[in-house]
Amino acid sequence: MKEGIYLEELGEIPFDEKEILRYAMLPSFAPPPEELPLRECLESARGAANCRAVWCRYPLKKDGNELNLGFARTESKDLKEHLEGCTEILLFACTAGAEMDRRIARAKIGSPAKGLLMHAIGAQQVEGGCDRLCRYLAERFPDRLLTDRYSPGYGDLPLSLQREVMEALDCGRTIGITLTDSLLMTPSKSVTAIIGMKEKEHA
Amino acid sequence: MSFMELLKTGPFFLDGGMGTLLQAQGLRPGEAPETWNLTHPEKVTAIHRAYYEAGSHMVAANTFGVHPQRYDTAVCEQMIRAAITCAEQARWDAAATQERFIALDIGPCGKLLKPLGPLDFEDAVNGFAEVIRMGAYYGADCIFLETMNDGAETRAALLAAKENCDLPVLVSNAYGADGKLMTGGTPESVVAMLEGLGADAVGVNCSLGPDALAPIVERYLEAASVPVLMKPNAGLPQEKDGKTFYNVQAGEFAGQIAALVPKGLRIMGGCCGTTPEYIRALCEAVGKNVPPALEKKNRTVIASRGQTAELGKNPVIIGERINPTGKKRLRKALEEGDMAYVLNEAISQEERGAEVLDVNVGTPGVDEPALLTQAVQELQAVTDLPLQLDTADAAAMERALRVYNGKAMINSVNGKQEIMDAIFPLVKKYGGVLVALTLDEDGIPGTAEGRLAIAERILAEAEKYGIEAKDILFDTLTMTVSADGNAAKITLDALKMIREKTGCGTVLGVSNVSFGLPEREVLGSVFLTMALERGLSAAIMNPLNDRMMGAMISFRTLTGRDENCGAYIRFAGELPAMQAAAMPAAGSGAQETEAKGLRRAVVKGLCREAARLSRTALESGQDGMELVQQEIIPALDEVGQGFEAKKIFLPQLMMSAEAAEAAFREIKEKSGGQAEEQPSKGTVVIATVKGDIHDIGKNIVRLLLENYGFAVTDLGKDVAPETVLEAVTRLHAPVCGLSALMITTVPAMAETVKLLHEQAPWCRVMVGGAVLTEEYAREIGADGYGRDAMAAVRLAERFMKER
Repeated sequence: MKEGIYLEELGEIPFDEKEILRYAMLPSFAPPPEELPLRECLESARGAANCRAVWCRYPLKKDGNELNLGFARTESKDLKEHLEGCTEILLFACTAGAEMDRRIARAKIGSPAKGLLMHAIGAQQVEGGCDRLCRYLAERFPDRLLTDRYSPGYGDLPLSLQREVMEALDCGRTIGITLTDSLLMTPSKSVTAIIGMKEKEHA
Repeated sequence: MSFMELLKTGPFFLDGGMGTLLQAQGLRPGEAPETWNLTHPEKVTAIHRAYYEAGSHMVAANTFGVHPQRYDTAVCEQMIRAAITCAEQARWDAAATQERFIALDIGPCGKLLKPLGPLDFEDAVNGFAEVIRMGAYYGADCIFLETMNDGAETRAALLAAKENCDLPVLVSNAYGADGKLMTGGTPESVVAMLEGLGADAVGVNCSLGPDALAPIVERYLEAASVPVLMKPNAGLPQEKDGKTFYNVQAGEFAGQIAALVPKGLRIMGGCCGTTPEYIRALCEAVGKNVPPALEKKNRTVIASRGQTAELGKNPVIIGERINPTGKKRLRKALEEGDMAYVLNEAISQEERGAEVLDVNVGTPGVDEPALLTQAVQELQAVTDLPLQLDTADAAAMERALRVYNGKAMINSVNGKQEIMDAIFPLVKKYGGVLVALTLDEDGIPGTAEGRLAIAERILAEAEKYGIEAKDILFDTLTMTVSADGNAAKITLDALKMIREKTGCGTVLGVSNVSFGLPEREVLGSVFLTMALERGLSAAIMNPLNDRMMGAMISFRTLTGRDENCGAYIRFAGELPAMQAAAMPAAGSGAQETEAKGLRRAVVKGLCREAARLSRTALESGQDGMELVQQEIIPALDEVGQGFEAKKIFLPQLMMSAEAAEAAFREIKEKSGGQAEEQPSKGTVVIATVKGDIHDIGKNIVRLLLENYGFAVTDLGKDVAPETVLEAVTRLHAPVCGLSALMITTVPAMAETVKLLHEQAPWCRVMVGGAVLTEEYAREIGADGYGRDAMAAVRLAERFMKER
């Protein structure tokens, strides 16, 4: 493994039915349909997710219009705004793993509704994994203030940054995330993001 | 001693980490190690030399990341040549006495294979083939495939090596702490596959330290007949004062590995974080210890991506239902390329206890090699049961075997010389457990002795190819007892005789015995029991049939193979539910209420209720079309309008759509195909565009369009513009729907729209997907923008009206 990259096994992420229904595009005020096969889907999703993450810490510098992220440079104004006052960043990638994708593929057969739910479960699992990682990072850097996570593709931060992210974190080798030519991540339930860090007194 | 002899005797020492040492020499983070072959060859050489001098028999040239997915061919060639030159220089310079070899080192290509990723299997093979030919040309002594974390990619690389050079191939996979590959492979399934393909050594490297890898290595030693290798990390990376270091020191590292040598480990080295010091310590720790002699494991094992089935212990249930012989609906599905039907059959058999699935897609008018390959790939995306590839077409068998991720069951060969000449080379090349039918040019012998004679001939022929008897199962051919009263007896006698005389396993398709007789499963289940009693290793049968499954499960229970009768109790517990599902619904009650109830059931999204009510209404004489027009369509409209008004949400809409579909299915079945003559509203071709693999949204659109009476041809995901055009032209489809979820795939959508407008001007194109807007859709020239699935239905209706 490359210098300065950390691998975290995030363990089992509890299912959060409310979140899952939200990812399945059911607003919180609407009652779930009577026969919605959520139980069944949760049952077949059990043990599917294997949330793992890699992360790395970089100094953050401003070079005129450019932001030097340590692993790449960008002119994104939105990211600059998000990282206002930060002196360092944490870059991470997190995935729910390949088995999750297979369970989604399996659920889709014969029932698009199950497909939708399984897809939502996958989203909840990887997001839950990211949350757990972020809590851990906040504990690991107690004297720093951490911003929310910001992903390539948000605002004016180009999705093409994914290439540099994959390279920097050696994602293929460390946690098995690879990119397609159209910059999709496989496994599909994967997230990459940047977190800004600033001194607490600056907050 | 030759390289292979050294490997087989052991201990054979590999090298340690390369990347870490290059970093210490100044390789910057993000800089590719292989570039140093050209820019700093002296440093690469020095590292190899240090490993040779520490005791390594083999160093891996610095080519891990060289792959056509990353570099131009010319650059690949320069790097490989330079890398091997460095290693050769080191071999020459080194002050060492042991024999010294150079491996072409190959890592993952950086893209994931289909179905999980975008890379086509043959493209992966071709990429590795290029690198392997270069490595062989520039003088590598062997090929070292390492840190492979996907079984399918490992298969592609090994196949490329076997097809493009004569060098020995060592294959090393990277396992997670859960003992699995990233894509789910287990030590047992990986070993079965790799040995089948002819790997010369197998093993594990990277990801973990020696103690954490030891249990995985022990599983390898238990399963493998070829030499096993191990190349762990120096423990786990830790940080101190901003520096990364690994937490297992050389002495400890060496001791943990050396402890495995008496258990049979014979090839060893280090991965990330290890240095020449670690290898020197390892050589010292092993000292004069020699691993026990290599031992052939005499097991008959088939494997999928992540599961294995051993034949010869418990009788194995092979699900027979994916076979179009005598199955009209499956035949139709295959002719139309409707894989969903095939996949459903697979899942229902798996849920009912099948342990292997037979896959036969041979039906007149289909391109069997293409269809079988597609079926195998799609099945493996949704089920991890090992497959039995069942075809009489050798070309279809070869194509399917290439892509099959695992070690397949191959059905079949027989005593005909021509067939043996076609099939044995495939088994030799791709591996597999072969089903051999006891018939030959003269037909099926009428005596058990005759069938045994054929079996012996087949075994003799297999031996010429080096195919072991343990990888052959004999099928003594079930004949219909109604045609010949002695048929079953001869089959069973032959079974027992072959089992005893050859020691080989056996397999029978049991259903055939009762053909033409009433209450077939009574006879069939007893025949199955009799065959099991005579040592049958596997039965090709219908797992959805309670009586047949009951016989199989009872046999296991009665022969001490079912702890605490657990399997039997589970089976018995599920029986009433299965029988209820098979019972026709009670056919009383007023039509009015049933119909009204149906409408409510669809609105509420109650699938089973909708199916039951439709069945009841139909049985009491109500017209199917009337049900559709007066109940189902109004229900769908009600839901659709609610959705548009944001009173009903996506999961509810989908449940209603599925309930409607369940009702339609009943109506179709009842009308015995007549419903199909009813004209559809029009043909719609739908697809997710090239480069995009999101299909949840597209699937919802398909379901709703079908609900509303359109004939939908779904081309799936990642579909090239030309493929869309081909389908639209062939079907003269008036409407096409395209989906794209990513900003990066919108150009592919624009290209598809353009192509359709140029070449199929009659077709109107609607688009949708997360990144699209009305405006964006117009910009790329689409004829309509579907905000959601309902909007797509409305658009399709409008396009049809405007024609």
